[in-house]
Amino acid sequence: MTGTGATLGLWARGRARPSLARRPLALAALCLGALFVVIVAGVAAGSVAVPPIDTIAILAHRVLGLDLGLTWTAAQETIVFDLRLPRVLTAMTVGIGLSVAGATFQGVLRNPLADPYVLGTASGAALGAAVAVLLPRVTLILDFGLLHGLAFAGALGAVLLVYRLSRVGGHGQMTSLLLTGYAIGSLLAAGLALAMFASGTNLRQIFAYLLGGFASASWVRFATALPIVLGASALIAIRARALNGFLLGEDAAAHLGVDVRRERAILLGLASLATAAAVSVSGLIGFVGLVAPHIVRLAVGPNARYVLPLSALFGAILMVAADLAARLLGDIPVGVVTAVIGAPFFLALLRRTRAGYDL
Amino acid sequence: MAARRFLLPCVLIALLAVACTPGGETSPTIAASVPHASAPGTAAASPSPAPSFPVTLTDDEGTAVTIAAEPQRIVSLTPATTEILFTIGAGDRIVGKVEDVADFPPEAAAIPIVARFDGVDIEQVVVLEPDLVISAGVGLTQGDAVEQLRRADVPVLVVYPTTIDGGLAGIRLIGRATGFVDAADSLAIAMEQRIDELERLAATATERPRVFYEIDVTGGIFTPPVDSIYGEMFLLAGAEPISGDASYSISLEKLVAADPEVILLGDAAYGVTAEAVADRPGWKGMTAVRDGRIHPIDDILVTRPGPRLVEGLEALIRAIHPELAGQLPLPLPSGSLGPPVPETGKPTTWLGSWPAAA
Repeated sequence: MTGTGATLGLWARGRARPSLARRPLALAALCLGALFVVIVAGVAAGSVAVPPIDTIAILAHRVLGLDLGLTWTAAQETIVFDLRLPRVLTAMTVGIGLSVAGATFQGVLRNPLADPYVLGTASGAALGAAVAVLLPRVTLILDFGLLHGLAFAGALGAVLLVYRLSRVGGHGQMTSLLLTGYAIGSLLAAGLALAMFASGTNLRQIFAYLLGGFASASWVRFATALPIVLGASALIAIRARALNGFLLGEDAAAHLGVDVRRERAILLGLASLATAAAVSVSGLIGFVGLVAPHIVRLAVGPNARYVLPLSALFGAILMVAADLAARLLGDIPVGVVTAVIGAPFFLALLRRTRAGYDL
Repeated sequence: MAARRFLLPCVLIALLAVACTPGGETSPTIAASVPHASAPGTAAASPSPAPSFPVTLTDDEGTAVTIAAEPQRIVSLTPATTEILFTIGAGDRIVGKVEDVADFPPEAAAIPIVARFDGVDIEQVVVLEPDLVISAGVGLTQGDAVEQLRRADVPVLVVYPTTIDGGLAGIRLIGRATGFVDAADSLAIAMEQRIDELERLAATATERPRVFYEIDVTGGIFTPPVDSIYGEMFLLAGAEPISGDASYSISLEKLVAADPEVILLGDAAYGVTAEAVADRPGWKGMTAVRDGRIHPIDDILVTRPGPRLVEGLEALIRAIHPELAGQLPLPLPSGSLGPPVPETGKPTTWLGSWPAAA
């Protein structure tokens, strides 16, 4: 085993694995429980105090049709069900999408620093959003919104561009992809800067998108993003064997019977789809896609069969908790909270790894 | 295959071309400058009877908003709206407002704050159970709030004028939305007349000086373009405005080349003084600095599209044409209009005494 596969495995073997790691199912159950708690906490907290018991009653009434014999005002019901719940569920969806995509990119590109935005998705989405702000206000069908639709299109367009352009050149395919992703990302960032300059008084809108957040969450957007994210994540999870093969290196994977070219294209495509769906509803939120898979690998090792579903759960918990913290700390951008959590963790991770990083 | 080679350059050029088109400012101004069907002429002739609710109005973004009954709980998300509501007599119906650096009138300070410059606290707005919310447009950070409130079945009227005519139309629209049609129409008419009088007065001045309006000089020189509400005010005040670009900035070289004869300090509230301007490197040679024609101006009065816009115009004329200062303030219109505006410690506003609203 060479390179990153060794590195990723070393993290797990180089220190005593906690006993939970041997029982990934128990860990998954724990994560599900934590997710449920965090979702309820997210719906119960906000700038208007709604008593927790009323919150649960409202949810039980609207979701399950149960009547718990409590009364509440219409305003409270609107706040809990129409404002907070879609927001929390959208955060969960985005957390799932970004972590699964991050885990996939890290595996396929064999680069522990890969995050969902490594192929220019972020710049493409941001440019799409900026273009949408420059155009006259129009709502796409299904109330999804022009800004979110163009962000989705921009993200996918950027990845397609990177993929097509990286097919030429004498470098290895992975290096070529990463370098092309960086170059196209820079080009699109320049386009974004130009669009921000031309936007005049609409600059705040573009900036709000760049900072990321769930203020624009709605049931329609959640219902549109959820099937895409879950579908892409499920299809990636089915391909866990191929992903494990990629960890060993392209040659070893080919020897194991993985159709390298096809699987690479499919995995990258699905991961980009999940990322595009996530950023289209939430803006650019960093660190979750990078950090969540690593934390999960520390617990259960590099086997993609466990890493993918657990990353999804852990990413969801992380994102909902970050959104809750951001709201309680005075509505600061969610990206700030994830960076504050993620960056120190990442530095600690760097210091611990004894084998060092190589591509 | 050959055609594919051109795909990338074409896509990039298309992206750049779209990115270069001047921005979304066109949409609010287009909506704002189109006179509403229910606006000026009809109300000017004779006072119309109080409008019957429900009423459907078109707001500044072109959205049709239906208001079922006369609103009793209004949330105002722009400072100009707060001022307008108090002036037309709807002040005691405001249950929530946006934070304002200069609360006017003083009663407005007592209203709970539900929004700040950087966003609206939607939960607080919903819990107040408003039956009308008057908001700024999507260009500011209120777009999400507007969407979510409308989804929660709260009528939201976007009133966000970027021209003086738009401001007057906005006042009329607010009057129709709140049931204070007469007071609002009277206010708009009075403002229009007063602005015309001031324009005529400014036109009698002997010169038309080049004016530079300083918004901010930290991190680059910021000044408004001539096609903004600032530009309109300067032209009405008989000045030749030195225009910034679409992103509200100008380079020092261009400014020195334009050589302003009068400098207006819109950032005077932040402690910028005439002496500080004279000390800046490169500014000494300007005519305005040599002649000492540097004046502080209350930025809020000049730009807020509410009843005090007239005071802003008067302040501009005083600063730009000091020889006309003796004729200001203009005598109050006979048969003054509108509800009383209380003393604020500043000179009485131009509205004088306002008879009780109908």
